[in-house]
Amino acid sequence: MPQSPGRADLREELRNAPVEPLLPIEKKLIGWSLSTGLVLLALLAALNHFFPATL
Amino acid sequence: MSNAYISNVQPQRVTERVAFINEDWLAVILGLGIFVLALAALVHVDLIGWVVTTSVWSQFSQALGATSKGYAALGGAGALVATYAALLIVLSAGAVALKTDVTRFALAFTALFWIAYASWIVGNYANFAAVTPAEQQKFGISWSLKLTNEGGYIFALVAGLFIANFLPGFAEAIKEAVRPELYIKVAIVILGGFFAVTAAGKLGLASTLILRGVAAIIEAYLIYWAVVYFIARKWFGFSREWAAPLASGISICGVSAAIATGGAIRARPVVPVLVSSLVVIFAVVEVLILPFVAQAFLSHEPLVAGAWMGLAVKTDGAAVAAGGITESLILAKNAAEGVRYEPGWILGTAATIKVFIDIFIGIWAFVLGYIWTNHINVTPDSNKAKAREIWQRFPKFIIGFVVTFIVGLYLALGTPADIAKQVPAAIGEANTFRVIFFILTFFSIGVLSNFRTLWQEGFGKLAAVYIVSLFGFVVWVGLAISWIFFSGITPPLAG
Repeated sequence: MPQSPGRADLREELRNAPVEPLLPIEKKLIGWSLSTGLVLLALLAALNHFFPATL
Repeated sequence: MSNAYISNVQPQRVTERVAFINEDWLAVILGLGIFVLALAALVHVDLIGWVVTTSVWSQFSQALGATSKGYAALGGAGALVATYAALLIVLSAGAVALKTDVTRFALAFTALFWIAYASWIVGNYANFAAVTPAEQQKFGISWSLKLTNEGGYIFALVAGLFIANFLPGFAEAIKEAVRPELYIKVAIVILGGFFAVTAAGKLGLASTLILRGVAAIIEAYLIYWAVVYFIARKWFGFSREWAAPLASGISICGVSAAIATGGAIRARPVVPVLVSSLVVIFAVVEVLILPFVAQAFLSHEPLVAGAWMGLAVKTDGAAVAAGGITESLILAKNAAEGVRYEPGWILGTAATIKVFIDIFIGIWAFVLGYIWTNHINVTPDSNKAKAREIWQRFPKFIIGFVVTFIVGLYLALGTPADIAKQVPAAIGEANTFRVIFFILTFFSIGVLSNFRTLWQEGFGKLAAVYIVSLFGFVVWVGLAISWIFFSGITPPLAG
């Protein structure tokens, strides 16, 4: 594992870091994650609507 | 930055002095230990009734007392000293197990306990805490901030913030005992039993809350994470190494998620450490704002408010504690309008949501680790993400929460009536310890939050992602989801 830099180095690193373009695998992760999340949420919301909480 | 955080992410420290146990397991042992001692009351042996409790007061002599009448002879001061001594001995033993310097821990804990508890006592002063006109009349006061007695948490937090920002040397001196994650995990283990007793009378409502916790998982992991990661990468240009722990810290549950993700993607240890410091600072800001917003706008939707705290406030400690403050504020506002809800449900909702989210940290970290080590930074087989990491990263204190919940539920529902009726009082004694661990958590979070240091170190860009994501997205989507799944459900009425 690489050595941890000092905080001053980190500040420089954060300021001057070269842009890393989004890789296809990252786009896939974001896309799948978001779409699965929204679909499941809609499903749960529908279940919640048709089978409301019983008190 | 607390050693507790740093030691979690710097393996070289661990190899220098191998601890018998980690903070997670220690929290399980301490929480279960307190729970078991409290249950002795079921066979008429009161082992922890001496623990100190604080009431709202206008004269100091009214402030403190032992939890159990059987220990009334101790008096308030005696109960406080007994509580301090017991915690000092038990936590110092824990410090030995964690291989920390026990002398330094004991001295630091002494300072931490007395300042934190003094803040709690101040917060219970009638002019700060009294809520109803009847209470004001009882204490002979004409005004009150109406913060409730749990407003004392805010006082503990502010005391910690003062030390962090104006007495940094002192904050450094007591850092050995500044362990908010340990304290809140012990509190959550105890909370399992308390929630079981609360839920026992309304199992249908309790199971409804638990099922709705699933929605929280989907939101935190699949929706929040993806959006925050995208914002950090695309809008702010962060590298993958920074963006992944940052997304987990903001979207899942703060410190533990940032650390788990950092480890999973093989980031340098300093990355999750810095993200964690940011998480703690923003959690403080949220705790100081959101419960009061919830009281103002959600007092007629108490469980929406509880779920919102669980979803929006990051780090276990701040989220569960924010649930406690919110409950206190909302119950007080409703009581002033003549509606008295049973306590425990708002806090229970916040804690359930948080625990549900925590359960899946290991799995999510493994998914990220698998993608990173196989597709992004392809590593040799020996360093690739392995399924056993799911268990390694599983927050073990959840086991303690589940055990106390199941045992509490069994005792309340599955035992003869003469035993069952004693369960609430027995677990109530353990719950007094839960309150004390909350106080220690709040104070510790404050001590970790040195705003100036973070600003001087020039990590404004990290903070900017946090602000944009948290206040522009996470808080509001969390509110919307809470509303969809919890609106219209109210806690049972008291009595």
